[in-house]
Amino acid sequence: MDGERRRKLKKAATAAGACILAAFLFGWFLESPEPRKYPEREPVVFWHMWTTEWKVIVDDICTRFNESQDVYEVIPLSLPKGVADSKFLLAAAGGEPPDCMAEWHQVVPQFANSKLILPLDEIMTAEELATFRSQAYPIAQKISAFNGRPYCMPLALDVRACYYRLDHLHQAGLIPASAPARVATQAEFEELRAVLPQTLEELTEWGRKLNVFDSKGRLVRLGFIPQWFRMFASVFGGGFYDWENNELLISTPENLQALTFLAEQQKAIGFDRMERFLSSLTTSHGADWPFATGKRSVSIDGQWKVQQLHKFAPDIPYMTTPIPPPKSGGKKMAGWVHGNFMTFPKGAKNTAGAWAFTLFWTGQDNPERASEFYTRAGWLPPSPAIAETRRYRAYVREHPQFQTFIDILASPNIESTPPVPFQLQLYDLIKRADESAMRGSLTPEQALRKLNDEVDEILNRRKEFGHEN
Amino acid sequence: MRGQALKGYLFISPWLIGFALLVAAPFIASIYLSFTHYDIISPAEWVGGSNYKRLFTEDPLFWKSLVVTLKYALVAVPVGTVLGVGMALLLNLDVRGIRFYRTAFYLPSIVPMVASCAVFSWVLNPHIGLMNSILRGIGVEGPAWLTSEPWAFYSLVMMSLWSVGGSMIIYLAGLKDVPASLYEAAVVDGANAWQRTVHITLPMLTPVIFFNLVMGTINAFQYFAQAYIMTEGGPEDSTTFYALYLFQRSWRYLDMGYASAMAWILFVIIMLITALLFKTHKKWVHYGR
Repeated sequence: MDGERRRKLKKAATAAGACILAAFLFGWFLESPEPRKYPEREPVVFWHMWTTEWKVIVDDICTRFNESQDVYEVIPLSLPKGVADSKFLLAAAGGEPPDCMAEWHQVVPQFANSKLILPLDEIMTAEELATFRSQAYPIAQKISAFNGRPYCMPLALDVRACYYRLDHLHQAGLIPASAPARVATQAEFEELRAVLPQTLEELTEWGRKLNVFDSKGRLVRLGFIPQWFRMFASVFGGGFYDWENNELLISTPENLQALTFLAEQQKAIGFDRMERFLSSLTTSHGADWPFATGKRSVSIDGQWKVQQLHKFAPDIPYMTTPIPPPKSGGKKMAGWVHGNFMTFPKGAKNTAGAWAFTLFWTGQDNPERASEFYTRAGWLPPSPAIAETRRYRAYVREHPQFQTFIDILASPNIESTPPVPFQLQLYDLIKRADESAMRGSLTPEQALRKLNDEVDEILNRRKEFGHEN
Repeated sequence: MRGQALKGYLFISPWLIGFALLVAAPFIASIYLSFTHYDIISPAEWVGGSNYKRLFTEDPLFWKSLVVTLKYALVAVPVGTVLGVGMALLLNLDVRGIRFYRTAFYLPSIVPMVASCAVFSWVLNPHIGLMNSILRGIGVEGPAWLTSEPWAFYSLVMMSLWSVGGSMIIYLAGLKDVPASLYEAAVVDGANAWQRTVHITLPMLTPVIFFNLVMGTINAFQYFAQAYIMTEGGPEDSTTFYALYLFQRSWRYLDMGYASAMAWILFVIIMLITALLFKTHKKWVHYGR
C-alpha cells in the first residue's frame, strides 16, 4: 500500500471513529428514561434491593398493584445492596426520600431512633393497626418494633431449619433402611421426622459420621457443623434481649453454653480445615448450593431453599426439621429470624400511596390475593392469615418441607436481633465475638465478656449523649 | 494585566466553584462535625472533645486499625518502591521487544480495582486457587490466604505489588532524564555497571523516588477498596485499615461526628509524616545541581 492510500485510509478510519463516538454520545445524552405508563396518576417511588429472579417477582407485584386501581402508580427501583442504605440516607437528608423502601439490613431501630422513618401507627388506621397487632406472627411484630411502636411492615420472614440429605443418611446407615428414600407425601414427611435426631448432641454425632476426608485429611464432604452464635443462643434457651424489660442480655449462662458448644464443635473439626473447605465452595445459591451438590449432608438454611431445590435440583431426596435442642436446657423450635420489611421515610411525598401498595402486597385486607405473591416467590408470610389460605395450603402440600418453616414461624422461641438503636453495630459485635471464639483466639468466656464490655461502652456513650437506650 | 487575570479566573471558575462547594466546604465543616454527635438526619449535637477522648482512650479498634495501616505503609511502600525501581531499571535496557515488556508490566495498573480483587480472590483461594496449586506442586500446603492471620494482611500487601506498574512508568521517565554525559564520564573513569547504577542512576532518580514515596505513603494511609472488597476487615480485624474503620463508623453505624474526628486524626498523621519526609529529603534527594 502506498503512502497516499494509507493516509486516505487513516483519514477515513478517523472520521468513521469520530462519527461512531458522536453517535454514541448523542444517544447517551438524548436517552430518555422509560416513560411512565400512567402519567396521570400519583407516583409512588419504591426502592428495594432485590435482583435477578426476585426482582422479576417484585416488579410483577408492582405491575399488579398498578393494574388493580387507578389512583397510584408504583415506580420500583432496584438499588445495589452495598450502597442502598447510604443512598437512602442521602436522599432522606436531602429531602427527597422514596415513598417507601424495602429493607433487610438491621437498620429499623437506628432509622426509627433518628426519626428518619415513620411509625406505622401514624400511617395505618386504628382498625388496620388492631388487625396487624392481632394477626401478624409475634416474631413479625418483634422485628417491626422499636420503643413499643411498629416502625416497619414485614413483607416476608426468613426462618432457618436443618436440611438433611436422605441419600447420605441412608448410605451411612443412620436411618432405617425401611425409611422413605424421599418425601412426596405428608405421611412420609412425618415418618422421617420421627427418625431424625431429636437432640443437638445426636445431630452433631451424625455430622461426624457423615464427614468425608480425602487421603490428606482434607474435608471433602461436611456432615454437619453448628454455626452462628446468633442462631444457637436461643436454641440453648438464651438470646440477646429481654422483651419484657426491654434490656439487652449478653453474658448469660445460656449464651455462654451456646458459644462454648459451638467452639468445641469447631475445635473438633479444626477451624483452618473448615475455612479451607468453605472457601472451596463456589456459591451458596441455586444449583451450586453445597447441599445440592452433595458437599454438605446436613445444612442449616432458609425456607427459600425449598423452592430453589425444586427448581434447580428436583431429584435430590431431602428432609427438613427445626434445629433440635440440646439434651438439657434448650428450647425446641428456636433460632434466629430475620426478614424483609417495608419502611416509610419521613418527609416522603406519597406515604398514603406507599401504604396502599404495602397493604396490597402483604394482603392484610385480602390474604387470598397476597398468597399468590408469597407462593410464587416461596416467601414466608408475615401473618398466619396468608399461610392458611387455600392457595398457600396447596403450595405446602406440593412442597411438604415448607411446613417445617411455617411451624417454626409460630414458635415463641425464635428470636430476632434486639431492637436497639445500634442494632447493626450490635449484630457486628456478636459476629465478631463468635469469630474470636471459633478461631480460638479468645475463650468463649473471654469473647462473651469482651462483647459485654463493648455493649456497655456503647450504652454508656449513648447515656452521655442523653439517650435513654 | 488585570483583565487577563479576570479572564483566567473566569475560565477556571467552574473548577473553583466545584472545589469551594464540594471540597473546601465539607473539609471545613468536618472540623466542626468532629466535635459533635451527628447521624446525618438529626441536627449535630455539640459534644466537645468527647469523640477524640474516646478514640484515644476507649476504642481499641481505633488503635488496631492505626497499627494495621502503619504496618501496611511500612511494608508495602518500601517493597513497592524497590520493586518499581528494579522493574524500571530492567525495562530501561535496550533489548528486543522492550516496548512489549513495558506495556505488559504496566497493564495490571490500569485493570479496574474490583476486577483485580475478583481475580485475586480466586488466585488466593486455599483449596482451588492458583497460588496454592503451585505450592502444592512443590510439596508445600499453602495457607488460607485471605481468611487466616497474618496471611490476610500479607496477601493484601502482595496484591498491592500487582499494580506497581503505575510507579514504574514514572521511574522509567526519571531514568530517561538522566543525562547520558554522566554515564560517558563514568565509563571514561572506569566505573562498572553496578557502580554506575549506585553512583549515578539511583542518586539521579531520588527526586522521582521521593515523589513516589510521598504519594505511596499518603495512598497507604487511605488504603480502603481492596480490604473492603476482599476481607471486609477480617479475619478478626487483622485487615481493618484505618479508612475501612472510618467508613464503617460513618456509613454503617451513622456515627459521622466520630468518623469526622477519625478523618482529622488521619489528616494530621499524613501531614506529619509528609512533613517528616520533606524534612529528611535534603539529606538523600539529589537534584543534579
